[in-house]
Amino acid sequence: MIKLNDIVVKFGDFTALHDINVHVKEGEFFTFLGPSGCGKTTTLRTITGFIEPASGTVFMKDRDITHVPIEKRNIGIVFQSYALFPTMTVYDNIAFGLKLKKLSKTEIDQKVRDIARKVDLSDEQLAKAVSQLSGGQQQRVAIARALVTSPSIICLDEPLSNLDAKLRVQLRNELKKMQKEFGITSIYVTHDQEEALTLSDRIAVFNKGYIEQIGTPNEIYNHSATEFVCNFIGDINRLEDGIVAELNKRGADLDPTWHHYIRLERLHVNKMDDGKHFVFDAMVESSEYYGLYIKYTINAFGQTLKVIEKNDGSNPYTKGETAHMSFNVKNIMSYKPGEDADA
Amino acid sequence: MLNEKRFDATFVFRIIGIVFFAYLFLGFMVVPCWNTLTSIFREKTASGEADPFVVIRFFLAGNMKNYVWNSLKLAVILVITVNIVGISIVLLTEYFDIKGAKILRMGYMTTMIYSGVALVTGYMFLYANDGILTPLLTNAFPGLSKTWFTGFGAVVFTMTFACTSNHMLFLRNAIRGIDYNTVEAARNMGAGPFKVLLKVVMPTLIPTLFSLTVMTFITGLCAMSSPTLLGYDSINPEIVRLAGSSSADESFPQARAALLSIILAIFTIVLLTVLTAYERKGHYLSVSKTKARLQKQKINNPVANVLAHIYAYVLFIIYMTPVIMIIIFSFQSYTAIRLKRIDFSNWTLINFFGQEDFEFLTSRGTYKTREGAISGVFSNADAVGGIKMSFILSAVAAALACVIVVVACNYISKHKKTGTFLEYALLFPWLLPTILICYSYRSYFNTETVWYVGNNNLYYADNVKLLIIMAYVVTKLPFSLRMIKASFYTIDSELEDAAKNLGSSPIQTFLKVKLPIILPSVLAVFALNFNALFTEYDMSATFASKYGKTYAMVIQSMTMDEGLYGYNVNASGRRCASTVFIMIVSGIILWLVYGVGARDLSERLEARKRRRERFAKIFGKKKLTTEP
Repeated sequence: MIKLNDIVVKFGDFTALHDINVHVKEGEFFTFLGPSGCGKTTTLRTITGFIEPASGTVFMKDRDITHVPIEKRNIGIVFQSYALFPTMTVYDNIAFGLKLKKLSKTEIDQKVRDIARKVDLSDEQLAKAVSQLSGGQQQRVAIARALVTSPSIICLDEPLSNLDAKLRVQLRNELKKMQKEFGITSIYVTHDQEEALTLSDRIAVFNKGYIEQIGTPNEIYNHSATEFVCNFIGDINRLEDGIVAELNKRGADLDPTWHHYIRLERLHVNKMDDGKHFVFDAMVESSEYYGLYIKYTINAFGQTLKVIEKNDGSNPYTKGETAHMSFNVKNIMSYKPGEDADA
Repeated sequence: MLNEKRFDATFVFRIIGIVFFAYLFLGFMVVPCWNTLTSIFREKTASGEADPFVVIRFFLAGNMKNYVWNSLKLAVILVITVNIVGISIVLLTEYFDIKGAKILRMGYMTTMIYSGVALVTGYMFLYANDGILTPLLTNAFPGLSKTWFTGFGAVVFTMTFACTSNHMLFLRNAIRGIDYNTVEAARNMGAGPFKVLLKVVMPTLIPTLFSLTVMTFITGLCAMSSPTLLGYDSINPEIVRLAGSSSADESFPQARAALLSIILAIFTIVLLTVLTAYERKGHYLSVSKTKARLQKQKINNPVANVLAHIYAYVLFIIYMTPVIMIIIFSFQSYTAIRLKRIDFSNWTLINFFGQEDFEFLTSRGTYKTREGAISGVFSNADAVGGIKMSFILSAVAAALACVIVVVACNYISKHKKTGTFLEYALLFPWLLPTILICYSYRSYFNTETVWYVGNNNLYYADNVKLLIIMAYVVTKLPFSLRMIKASFYTIDSELEDAAKNLGSSPIQTFLKVKLPIILPSVLAVFALNFNALFTEYDMSATFASKYGKTYAMVIQSMTMDEGLYGYNVNASGRRCASTVFIMIVSGIILWLVYGVGARDLSERLEARKRRRERFAKIFGKKKLTTEP
């Protein structure tokens, strides 16, 4: 559907994107994830045509669109600020692109009302000014405006970042629902890993203008390809030399020159010993009670580790108690230290 | 960024734009003013020898210095008096709890709807030696001469109260921007209201006060209508006099006018440079994110409280008396105005629309009648001519200034480097006193040898209107640019991207997306420009051409003595009516700009809905009654 081949983008002397290769498939929900300044929005803007790459090509449906002007690409965008025109009504906002295509009035009207119904906007809301709508309604207008010209692909640039936490979760679900209904290929930019994990079919993790990994949410989370990815996604414990040495004593076979990590939920303090797990004694330093789960800070071999346990009624530990920490050595992710290690 | 064609319409527009702005900047700002500067050094001595410094020697030797000293004296005194009154009225209405603050504020704000010539002639109507309040004042204060309202004292008195509009605008905003929590914190730590004012409130106002002081100083230096009408020898009236004089009467009057206007320009440039340098340092009124609104401070000491109230209402009376008197007398008959006595039984519109015969006793003892000699503003050919002239010239100039600035801002917002150059070019007239620009136009274009205006003498006959329009446009560019540029910066750049993405061309994006967003500000700037130019006096007085006789000049001529034999009859009545007319026009414009114009789309839609509902109610009822 959309293919980026060896894209390089430069701003003056600064290289913002290095050899970016992405292939987004038809109907896929594809997410660009990374910290701010990593190049994810730049990549998106290269696809939409706001930025011309220094080298490399952009293909859409096997057609080279690298030098096609923005307005002729037929790619819909939902902006971070929604970029709704404040001087137009909701209706005029949605109709803007159709009017520029010189469609007849009845045709425009039909299309606007059609898409409005699909994104759940009433006739009354169509007549309102954009500023009279709530954040969630504005997002639906932005989506309707992007979809009404039937683009072959829709790009969403951090569309949830302006909203408060509760609305963000609610709209995230709506967004996913709409994408499924429309079945449109979507490219989504975010720095929020939870959003990326819950929404995406596949994720590309960006860092400093490079792509670190492309994969499904499960691959990204549980089989992080690089040390950066494993640190960026979710919370994680780095195992220090003391523990690594102790594990190797018990036959774990970890390379002490590498960095080793284990996720919080893969460490346990409530599990019975089943023979597959390594078990240590650890001292509970503190516990944070979240309701759904409990987060313990424990100390083993002089290292502080964080553990998450589901709040399933097992005895909660209190400070100073000794717990049996257990984990499966298969869950340890190991990386050879490189220059780009941001641990 | 991705354009298929580079040499398309956009490119042609750009070239036209560059040529136009270069023409405007060089032809109507740099060259004429440069000519004024150099003309000082082109004079010859009495014996006919070229002597570049003869004018400067003349200046240093003669009494010309006095005009500069007088202007400086006025500026210094005004800085003191205007700041005292300006700070007082803002504190009395915004900071201290004074009873009737809303009414007081309206009184203090009256200078916003009438200023310049309209205000000065209004004050003269009250206080001049034939003024309506002069007998009252001389009775009350036996030492006071009938002619007290002339010269330096009168100019200071008038301008002290006339020049507080900026305080009411900017200082008021600054004081309202104070975080009340800081006041509460100071009170909590044991400071009284006056201590808080001195230690907490005032320091945050200092940047604003500094700007206001510089602005007031420049206003004083460049004062025109007050010194001209009230008779005070400051720089500007002298420049106008010299510009109209000829070398047959005195030594090189033109070069002397040029020298004075350059001196004025040097002062202005130095002051504005100081001001910008000061403003660039950056001052922040408040650092807190959750601001609390200022609450008015009660003055606890009863004596101070009473004194503050008395002070507030005395100021109120000074501000309101001219307004009230002018409004009352504008509806009084010719006889009542001549006798300076209000006739409560006889109200008339004659000063606005009427016409009446004037009967007078000739020296031979017979009565003679001039038909329709007592006429109102709108039935007097002179006055109507001036209104029409000012209306057209200011509307055209205000519109031109807006169009030029909008086009320029669109360019500036897109091109950083060349845009900055354009911006400074358009801000350039800000450094020059208007009189320098007008005098330069008058002297430079008064020949048929300026090639870039087609070898036409622009100061000749009706051409002068063109010259006035150009002067209006050029002097209004800096203000327009600052205002409109600010509104350009509020446009989210994503809006432009969104429009492009939906398939719109740069011109379509500008017309359909950006222009509607900035339109309210553009219209506001147009209205404010128009308002200022409509009653503008300084510039048209400098041109002093009967082909460009503006409204303000007509009003000025109404202050001349009314001839007993039927000349200039009822000028006082027309003057009052003119001031009322100006107040109405300005009032409407300010209401449109700050009231209606500030509404956004949602507020307009709501208003429309309410109108429709009201309409439907009336219409629906009618329908019911007409149905069988």
